[in-house]
Amino acid sequence: MNNIPILSIVCYVPLLGALILLFVSKDRPAFIRRFATGVALLDFLLSIPLWFAFDRSAAGTGNFQFRESAAWIESIGARYEFGIDGIALLLVLLTTLLGVLSFLSSWKAIATREKEYYVFLLLLQTGMLGVFMAMDFFLFYVFWEVMLVPMYFLIGIWGGPRKLYAAIKFFLYTLAGSVLMLLGILALYFYNAGGLPGWPGLGNALTFSILQFHEIGSQIPKDLQVWIFLALFVGFAIKVPMFPFHTWLPDAHVEAPTAGSVILAGVLLKMGTYGFVRFSLPILPEATKALLPWMAGLSIIGILYGAMVAMAQKDMKKLVAYSSVSHLGFVMLGLFALNGPGVNGAVLQMINHGLSTGALFLLVGIIYERRHTRMIADYGGLSAVMPVYATLFLIITMSSIGLPALNGFIGEATILVGAFNRVWWWAALAGLGIVLGAAYMLWMYQRVFFGPLTNQENQGLADLDWREILYLVPIVLLCFWIGLYPRPFFQILEEPVKYVVSKVGG
Amino acid sequence: MQNPQEFLLLAPEILLASAGLLLLLVGTIGRGLGNRHSAVVALASLVLTAIDLYAVRRSVPGRLLIFNDTFVIDGFAIFWKSVVLIATALTILLSIRYMEEAGYRAAEYYALLLLASSGMLLMASGYTLLTIWIALETMALASYILAGYFKRHLRSNEAALKYFILGALSSAILLYGISLLYGATGTVQLNQLAEGVRRASAEGNLLVPLGWILLASGLFFKVAAVPFHIWAPDVYTGAPTPVTAYLAVASKTASFAILIRIFYEGLGTIYGDWKWIVAAVAAATMIWGNLAALTQDNVKRMLAYSSIAHAGYVLIGVVAASEIGLWSVIYYLLAYTFITMGAFGLVVLLERREYAGETCADYAGLAQRSPFLAAMMVIFLVALTGIPPTGGFFGKVYLFAAAVQAGWTWLAVVGVVTSAISLYYYFRIVVYMYQTDSTETAAVPLRAPALVAAIAICAVATLLLGLFPEPFIQMARSGLLAVGGM
Repeated sequence: MNNIPILSIVCYVPLLGALILLFVSKDRPAFIRRFATGVALLDFLLSIPLWFAFDRSAAGTGNFQFRESAAWIESIGARYEFGIDGIALLLVLLTTLLGVLSFLSSWKAIATREKEYYVFLLLLQTGMLGVFMAMDFFLFYVFWEVMLVPMYFLIGIWGGPRKLYAAIKFFLYTLAGSVLMLLGILALYFYNAGGLPGWPGLGNALTFSILQFHEIGSQIPKDLQVWIFLALFVGFAIKVPMFPFHTWLPDAHVEAPTAGSVILAGVLLKMGTYGFVRFSLPILPEATKALLPWMAGLSIIGILYGAMVAMAQKDMKKLVAYSSVSHLGFVMLGLFALNGPGVNGAVLQMINHGLSTGALFLLVGIIYERRHTRMIADYGGLSAVMPVYATLFLIITMSSIGLPALNGFIGEATILVGAFNRVWWWAALAGLGIVLGAAYMLWMYQRVFFGPLTNQENQGLADLDWREILYLVPIVLLCFWIGLYPRPFFQILEEPVKYVVSKVGG
Repeated sequence: MQNPQEFLLLAPEILLASAGLLLLLVGTIGRGLGNRHSAVVALASLVLTAIDLYAVRRSVPGRLLIFNDTFVIDGFAIFWKSVVLIATALTILLSIRYMEEAGYRAAEYYALLLLASSGMLLMASGYTLLTIWIALETMALASYILAGYFKRHLRSNEAALKYFILGALSSAILLYGISLLYGATGTVQLNQLAEGVRRASAEGNLLVPLGWILLASGLFFKVAAVPFHIWAPDVYTGAPTPVTAYLAVASKTASFAILIRIFYEGLGTIYGDWKWIVAAVAAATMIWGNLAALTQDNVKRMLAYSSIAHAGYVLIGVVAASEIGLWSVIYYLLAYTFITMGAFGLVVLLERREYAGETCADYAGLAQRSPFLAAMMVIFLVALTGIPPTGGFFGKVYLFAAAVQAGWTWLAVVGVVTSAISLYYYFRIVVYMYQTDSTETAAVPLRAPALVAAIAICAVATLLLGLFPEPFIQMARSGLLAVGGM
């Protein structure tokens, strides 16, 4: 496996699939969706060996494995560098898995312009995988921005009634954040080399290598660190999204087609948190510590605010969207606990959130396909006509609110341990968020599934078909796996988290 | 008497101008040369000029001043000349079908293009303020006529008249600035000027600031920088579309060549004086160009404002005045050439007859009708916004990097914020192409192979400039000017 550029293969298989699709006639939608799903499945299968071949005990920078390196733009020192550590490994696997599921979920939901749809979805896969694999900050940035374009189209063409507004808002928000982030990257780049006016540089060769930036992090003067941190923060915080940068999220989520929402919640938001754990924390330890109260404060506000707004929603999809704001607040809080349990829990919770929120969007999408409404008030008593659906929905609900034996519990509990060790009352406030989470999720569940089946239109609803079960069951199994036996995941995370924590210096 | 050898080094300019004059002559005989034949002759003369230019480059590896130090041959000049030749060739490819349908005499049109281009080649090599001014006028006079080439159309007339009056005014201002500088320093030759302005401004001679400010105003007019941009939207909208592309690309690039030459080589010694003015103009240009573009519904007018905005980005690199700043300008304008030519090429293709079909709404449903054309337009718009993987992205990164490195972070912030804003108006076209249904369902007929080829070349170049910038960076590096005195 040493000589095979396995990461590049996993990254570009979807791109290749998209290019092939360009030459398929658009009048063959059945073939197109089978082919595209096949490509996604192939990509997922190709990514599985990574899990087995990954050396969990490699410490420090050695944890970055499957490295690939090639010259790219020598004049500015940007290189084509791929590699993943344990954190990226989990996110890559999450991306390829959710990829397959979201493709499967689109079969019926997307009835127009299938060819373009699947081309964009495949391009999006490549963009996201590249973000997690890149070990060169410039390459990272290219992937980070590239994937905005297909996502824009997914929301903007196949979205709901306000798709135009939601798509451009998503694009403008995230683009504005990323370009400011770019300035931060450039400052870092010049500091490592010749320096900036007012900050004599370190005189190293021009490079965008992430490991090199990790290396010099502690040498950057504190005031420069704070500036760079803030520049990166805008980019990452909008993506996460942290309060008060979250306003694009409900619009984008509600208007996006189901697959778009799944990928948006499951993977895209993780790119923001991934940015913090990969760049901000290890490269800018002084600034991280200096701004810690602000970061934790925004995270806690996000947890509570997201949960309270979710409680007030009448639209299921919007409810799930706001719950994401709350859950991502947990992840951020865990990261900024700056200790082993906090970061471990945060990364695991990134995966958990991808699984459970992805599944929630899939579930909402299923009912929307049948009834073309997402209003909670239009439902009630569904458990009588759709028992399988109700059962799966319940499991995912429990996973989302953090019931023991399911994945959410493990993540949230670990985060709370970390937060408690840092500042005890952070954990107390965040704990309140869990209670609120249980409240809005269970309340929604109750209103949709229990009570009398009053609405006549819900009488004849069909339960799940094989395809729908097929794409939900893997998520449910994973939720139980992580909930009951999280050890393999923590094993993978142990070394990379130790590395990050040692860099930021707890 | 000059060394006759020196005329050989001037051969590319002489060749192009003669070809233009020849076309003009032949065009008047009888029914003249047909449209296609004229285009072929023009393209052939461009190819010959390019070959000649290459020969000149081979024989002068470094830097050479000829004709009593009035004319310079260096990597910088050669680079801009190449860009001008590329832009002119693309303009001709854009024009063939357009001129055919318009039904005006064609030979003069191509002749004027060649004459304007020969002026641009001279501009890139001018080494005294006067040679530069004469070259500039050669370009400008031909451009005025080109803008008004559709003589039976009110809009084309309006464009030509506005362009001429404002252009003449700016040339006069420019010349007045030159005369003041000459009065203060006693020279118009750039390297003597550098020393002269340093001395004179150290003595507190007020003619120097007055002179260079007037000179700069004239140059800002030529590159359409705020507040000297007022002519651009009207002229760009009214001129025949290939001419608009030509003005937005070739004329702008050549004007940047002299702007950089004059500021760096002639006024480099008083960098401390002009940097703030150029920075302010850059910021104003980025902000106003992008904000004004937001409300445009006519695609040509929108692209006009966008080209104003892009002049602002390029000025960031000029202000940075570092090695990386200069590369970035060169790289950016190279990318801009292909991107803008491609975008205007699509506008030409979609214009049904003369001025019809140039509003955003005319792009409705294009993705359904002609998916590949729509995809290419997306590439150009994404590149204009500055999103990877395109040359526009890499060029902008370079410009912002230069600004950050030189301590002009606030300019870089203005640059990135306005780039994000620009997404809104560029993607309005995308909204029409991809997200709006159209009553028309027939594909856009691709009956102009040259035009389609030009667009495809531009699209491929745009992607290559973004994905594999290294060879192009090497090219840009060869165009490096010795940034003396700063």
